[in-house]
Amino acid sequence: MKHLRPINQKASKIEATVSRPDHDVRAMQGGSPGPHIPLGCSFVFSPGWEVDSTGGTAGLCQPVERDLFDCYITCFWPAHVPDHYNYAPDWTAKCAAAQQDWRNIDLIFP
Amino acid sequence: MILLPARPQRVALTLLTVSLLPLAVGAQSDPEGIPVTHTAVVQNCVACHTQDSTGRMSRISYSRKTPEGWQNTIRRMVMLQNARLQPDVARDIVRYLADEHGLAPEEARPGMFEVERRMIDWEYEGDEDTQETCKVCHSLGRVILQRRTKDDWTSTIELHRGLYPVVEFQGFRRGGPSDEDDDDPRHPMDKAIAHLARAFPLETDEWRSWSATKRPARLAGMWAVSGSEMGKGPLYGTLTVQRGERDGDVTTALEYRYARDGNTVRRTGRATVYTGFQWRGRSFEGSDEATALREVMFVERDWQSMSGRWFRGDYDEIGLDVSLHRVRSDPVVLGVYPMAARTGQAHTVTVFGANLPQDIGADAIDLGPGVDVRRVTSRSPTAVTAQIQVAADAALGPRDVFIAGSNMERGLTVFDEVHRIAVEPRAGLARVGGIVFPKQLQQFQAVAFHNGPDEDPETDDDLRLGVVDVTWGLEEYTRTFDDNDIDYVGAIDRNGLFTPAADGPNPQRNQNRNNIGDVWVVATYAGDNAPATLRARAHLVVTVPLYLRWEPWKVTPR
Repeated sequence: MKHLRPINQKASKIEATVSRPDHDVRAMQGGSPGPHIPLGCSFVFSPGWEVDSTGGTAGLCQPVERDLFDCYITCFWPAHVPDHYNYAPDWTAKCAAAQQDWRNIDLIFP
Repeated sequence: MILLPARPQRVALTLLTVSLLPLAVGAQSDPEGIPVTHTAVVQNCVACHTQDSTGRMSRISYSRKTPEGWQNTIRRMVMLQNARLQPDVARDIVRYLADEHGLAPEEARPGMFEVERRMIDWEYEGDEDTQETCKVCHSLGRVILQRRTKDDWTSTIELHRGLYPVVEFQGFRRGGPSDEDDDDPRHPMDKAIAHLARAFPLETDEWRSWSATKRPARLAGMWAVSGSEMGKGPLYGTLTVQRGERDGDVTTALEYRYARDGNTVRRTGRATVYTGFQWRGRSFEGSDEATALREVMFVERDWQSMSGRWFRGDYDEIGLDVSLHRVRSDPVVLGVYPMAARTGQAHTVTVFGANLPQDIGADAIDLGPGVDVRRVTSRSPTAVTAQIQVAADAALGPRDVFIAGSNMERGLTVFDEVHRIAVEPRAGLARVGGIVFPKQLQQFQAVAFHNGPDEDPETDDDLRLGVVDVTWGLEEYTRTFDDNDIDYVGAIDRNGLFTPAADGPNPQRNQNRNNIGDVWVVATYAGDNAPATLRARAHLVVTVPLYLRWEPWKVTPR
């Protein structure tokens, strides 16, 4: 960074962060070394259910309740959310707007 | 004990499912197949699964699975095909199918992590296309614990395509025509079927051999238990097994002691040993249902040892790794605590075991060169405590331990100082919960290491010195500026147990984010055995709940 000088607040923040002595910058530039998350399960969706493609939570659809009907109806995560077709056709019957009524969502045991 | 839900949910058949029925239960032309001789299976399944003159039933005769695999199948029949089964009948059917359409020990061993509910980083090396096709939704452990004919593998894939149409573009079929220079233009699912039929066929030498010799395991008697629990360290004890009402059923009485804090636990339980080697049990402290531990163990074919995992938690995340050995009249040494002793110092160590002599003296305890056993301060059949002195110039490294004719390899490690600590596991996963969904906890522990003869950290010759007391904390894992995950995700207690925050949108966060995030879990060791304060950390992902559970465990979400 010695040839660059920040000219706004965000750039100053970046400089301060990358200058930290512990070099603790992870951001979203790539997956972290070590075990995959989630362990032993699926991690190829983009975005994934538990983590995004970088292995963190920053890129997930948030809050999860906002996107839940789409997850449900298209069955994009068949191992994480009940499907609309067979196992739980009336899963969201008690929950017209998931962001407000999320307490009414049942946990399904097929 | 495997249980079905107390009140199985009835779900109406959809047109889509009805359209699948001929596909799912159609007659198979394959000459292989296991005849079904169990009355309950025939009576309850024959309405859809036709039986031929040799006793083979469609689908059922052409696959072999674990007890969990068969239970999942039965649950699907109840949920989607309107099968009406009383729980006792369902258990009986699962038991018959797990015994007669089950796996051989050699077939089950590679996938034990799946039924032991272990969170491990595991790659299937048999075929990349198969791995990619299956793991988009579930662990390959589920796959490698099944054996089927090629027709039945094909039917399984077709069933997936019918039940979960999105898998077509998620992994089963490539998105468009194949490349002209592609040597193998088949869709991934077609490659997977070919691989699975070849790698996991119905008929195998292993199953033929095991079928010829398998019988209900006779496990009654006394067993020595050694194990460890993340965050709590090693534990030692005994398990008394008595024969149950049926062949293969047992009742158990268990007592074990955590070496670090001396806490003693007494449990009673019951178990069924499926297929002659697959222990599935449940134990309780007293009659408290909240203390239930599920037991999954692999019984070795000599009936002299078994090992596995006992677990609990809404996501099966809290557990003990255990190893059991049959106790006869000879003394047995299970472990030494503490497992490491510093040079030039006096220590009090406890040797855990079974049948330890009650008249044992210091001269009967041999902890190796440079380790002088001064005197025995207490003794019981399962634990002997002694005072020892480690010479200042004692060679560094592990010692074999000998007591009264019994021994344990590498039972005690001599070291001069702690060079580093490590947080285990290196990466953790927790799920927010507590309001609608259960919380998934994450337990951490800190382990001390000596760098070993090469003096380099994290090499194969490092000496593991055991779990140490540390101060636990969280630090921000910088992925996004100012998201301040650390303020929302939850807390870690003094024992290294992380408890996530509540589920649901959080109006206090930007865009109502859930209380999810990425943090570092930081351990700080300031013990006397290190020249300076040591730190180590692990990555913790706190993420969203699962809205669906495929595992056959019964969980109360609220």
